[in-house]
Amino acid sequence: MKLRSSFQARIACVLIALLLIVIGAVFFAVKAATGDAVHRQAQAQLEVGTRVFEGLLDIRGRRLRDAVQLLSADFGFRDAVSSADSATIRSVLLNHGARVNASDMFLLGMDGKVIASTVEQIPEGSQFRYDQALRDLKRSNQSMLIVPLQGKPHLLVESTVLAPLPIGRVVMGFSMDTAFAQELRTLSGLEVSFAAVENKTPGALISTQPDSLYPSLTELMMDSSKGQMRMTEHMSQRFLSQSLLLADTGGSSGGQVIALLQSPLDQAMQAFAPLDEKIFWITLAALFASLIGTLLLARSVSLPVRALAVAATRIGEGDYETPVVLERSDELGVLAVAINSMQSGIAQREQQLAHNALHDGLTGLPNRALAMERLGSAIAAERPVALLYLGIDNFRAINDTCGAEGVDQMLQQVGQRLQASLRPGDTVARLVANEFLLLLEHSDSDSAVAMADKLQQMLIKPQRVVNHDVTLDCCFGIAVYPADGNAPQELLKRAAIARQDATHLPGRLQIYEQGRDLAHQRQISLIRDLRHAASNGELMLHYQPKLDIRQGRVRQAEALLRWQHPQFGSVSPAEFIILAERTGSIQILTNWVIEESMRQVAEWSQRGLRVQVSVNISADDLLSGDLADRVSSLLKQYRVPAEQLIFEITESAVMREPEHALKVLNRLRDCGISLSVDDFGTGYSSLAHLKRLPVQELKIDQSFVRNLDETSEDAVIVRSTIEMSHNLGLKVVAEGVEYQHSLLLLERWNCDTAQGYLISRPLTAAAFEAWMAKPLTTPGLLVS
Amino acid sequence: MFSPVSQAATFTAAMVDQNGKPLNDVVLTLKGPPSKPVLAPKADMDQRDKEFVPHVLAVHTGTLIRFPNSDNIRHQVYSFSAPKRFELRLYEGTPSDPLLFDKPGVVVLGCNIHDWMLGYIFVTDDPWFGVSDDNGKLTLNDLPPGHYVATAWHPKIADMQPVPAGEFDVPAGGLQKSFTVAVQATSNQMPMAPAPSAFGDAFHKAAHE
Repeated sequence: MKLRSSFQARIACVLIALLLIVIGAVFFAVKAATGDAVHRQAQAQLEVGTRVFEGLLDIRGRRLRDAVQLLSADFGFRDAVSSADSATIRSVLLNHGARVNASDMFLLGMDGKVIASTVEQIPEGSQFRYDQALRDLKRSNQSMLIVPLQGKPHLLVESTVLAPLPIGRVVMGFSMDTAFAQELRTLSGLEVSFAAVENKTPGALISTQPDSLYPSLTELMMDSSKGQMRMTEHMSQRFLSQSLLLADTGGSSGGQVIALLQSPLDQAMQAFAPLDEKIFWITLAALFASLIGTLLLARSVSLPVRALAVAATRIGEGDYETPVVLERSDELGVLAVAINSMQSGIAQREQQLAHNALHDGLTGLPNRALAMERLGSAIAAERPVALLYLGIDNFRAINDTCGAEGVDQMLQQVGQRLQASLRPGDTVARLVANEFLLLLEHSDSDSAVAMADKLQQMLIKPQRVVNHDVTLDCCFGIAVYPADGNAPQELLKRAAIARQDATHLPGRLQIYEQGRDLAHQRQISLIRDLRHAASNGELMLHYQPKLDIRQGRVRQAEALLRWQHPQFGSVSPAEFIILAERTGSIQILTNWVIEESMRQVAEWSQRGLRVQVSVNISADDLLSGDLADRVSSLLKQYRVPAEQLIFEITESAVMREPEHALKVLNRLRDCGISLSVDDFGTGYSSLAHLKRLPVQELKIDQSFVRNLDETSEDAVIVRSTIEMSHNLGLKVVAEGVEYQHSLLLLERWNCDTAQGYLISRPLTAAAFEAWMAKPLTTPGLLVS
Repeated sequence: MFSPVSQAATFTAAMVDQNGKPLNDVVLTLKGPPSKPVLAPKADMDQRDKEFVPHVLAVHTGTLIRFPNSDNIRHQVYSFSAPKRFELRLYEGTPSDPLLFDKPGVVVLGCNIHDWMLGYIFVTDDPWFGVSDDNGKLTLNDLPPGHYVATAWHPKIADMQPVPAGEFDVPAGGLQKSFTVAVQATSNQMPMAPAPSAFGDAFHKAAHE
């Protein structure tokens, strides 16, 4: 888990970011508030200071005026002034001016002319520059005038000299010097600067500020915007500044006196520096503490989460045993409990699923998969195992009788009985509906046969199922490891083959024979291909001539089916006919045979060859019901006379459902088709039955004919059969005639027809046609 | 029955300002037919209730004027006027020597310890002169009939300079004449007498009981 993406890191980041935002906001809010407070305070200080400054100036002016007035009332002074001697007057001005610390003194006449002056620049006899301003001042009852004088700001105070009538005005000037500025600073708490401006040129600056700031202060004072409070900066020191225009005499000389009052901000700000520092340390401490706190918090969440994730992964991998241990009472603890209960639930269900997957739902027995697994493990351990494949052959019949419910009950009972009869370590499994498999450990084929026999005895006893007594028809196939194979699937298949083979055996028990699986494979292929043999043109008919013994000529032939399989080549009818009958595809073959033989007969007829052809009909054909209809329509189609066809039927075919078969036979007979009983003598031949059949011919099975001689038992059977048949009005055909003497005997016993290799083997249609064209060459017949 | 010497006429002048209101303290001097000289004339400028009484005193050149003090406090009377610069040190009662005013002109009197005290002595060479009373009336008796040149002065006259008041004949039966004198508004440059304060009254009473 990367640190950057982990939950823990994200919680920490979010919390710290939030904290930083909050602290930042607090810091800036405090900063802004203190800055604002300082600014406000400075502003208030400046405002108050400005008023104090103005008040101080006024007080100072009054005090000076009072002093000057007092001075001007001095009798000696008045005496001197009224003497009109300018030297005397100047000396008394200097003398009395010194008493009140005045720097410049003037005596003006009532008309404003300078009578006496201590300043050279203002000569006696000239009009005093500020005469009008002084008069205005007096009119507005103010005490003093501030003017630039000799490049310096001055306070001018005037007093009238009474003698006792006004005879002159004494004007005294007080220089506004650094000491004055310092005094104002002490009282107002503001930095005070003065400058006199004459002819738009600033004079020397008088200030409480350090000298280094003078140029920028002067610049600020010369700035046109007066009377406004402004934030100014001088040599990186910040001040709240206010300029006051103390005097503006206007005119061409443009004399002005400007005062600059400043409240230093940095100093006030300095008071808040400890606060900033405290906030900084608090921030640092809070950050550190929250970092630790969030890490602990995140850890307390992320560690259990990881433990839970590990547990979930473990459960995913199938480990349901290890519980999650989380000693917590919070949501994560609840989650851990939930995971534990989920784990046990999953384990339980998985067990159930596994059981279901490996067991049969109905009987509770192991299923095929489990049986295969156990077989596999036995093979892996090289333990000899016998497979006993059990099939219930009359399953369908039981189903019809007892219904699905009964079948289920029966199967359960069978399962229980099988289970009960097993040794420990052996397995009984249900494979499909009616098939069970038993695995007998440490068994060879002999003990397996013994076991099968025992089970056979047990299962053959009738059992009560849903008010029915059911007798099971079971058959067993046995395959043995290691003798019959060493792969589970192979062994199972071979056991199944053996079981299938067993169905045809009276003992209902078969041990697998080597190579049976190949034969079985061939059978399966043949069964599969049989259905398409006719349409693929793989079928053909061979014709075996039937000799009319009495007349010594051939007018009949038996159509015999031949199959040229693309893979296996020529397949014997003995092999595929049985398969066809067993798989229900015999009708396809029979239909083809009937149609083909008709076609051939018709073809031969056109060429003048008149042959009566006999065709083999199976039991299934007889029972299908529509045989007669099909035949009659085919007869019409090929325009073949019915007399030219003989249908050969075995006795057993008729015996399966005699009534139905008889009906079909009668209808066929009605069509005009001759009927023949085939293979007579092999089945349970019944004369009474034979009498009822609408047959015209009887074929003695070749097994009686092949080795026929005068003295054999067969001779008796053949001879009596011929006689019996003739007595019943039936013609007799002898099959399998291979020897001349046999033919001679048959002739002597008045057998009607002979068929066999002596006369000819089965021939293709073309060969048969050619054979018929040749004269008959049979020696015996020729002799006779 | 009237001898030429004893022949005399009465001249009555009514002084008004430019607004036609009767004006007091106007000095009117007449220069006319020759008359007998006045020998060693004397006059008093009294100080009463911290005021000069009379406020305006017209005298002939060469008059000896005494400055009696009728107050129970001391005064220090002075004048820086060119016709007569003098200073009488703090005194009570009447100073020993009267002062001789031998030059014509206006002498403004002050008291060095009472700045609001102001008095005028108009010194003239003319033989006939008088000061108008509170009704602006001025009467000169025993004038020989004849032709007269009149000059007028008032403390509030412009530049404090006497102005000609015209020429006229005074018949033997006397003459009544009205004169208009332009005066300036009261100057505010003069200190006013301090209002008596409660403390001052109490102090004064305590001092005199």
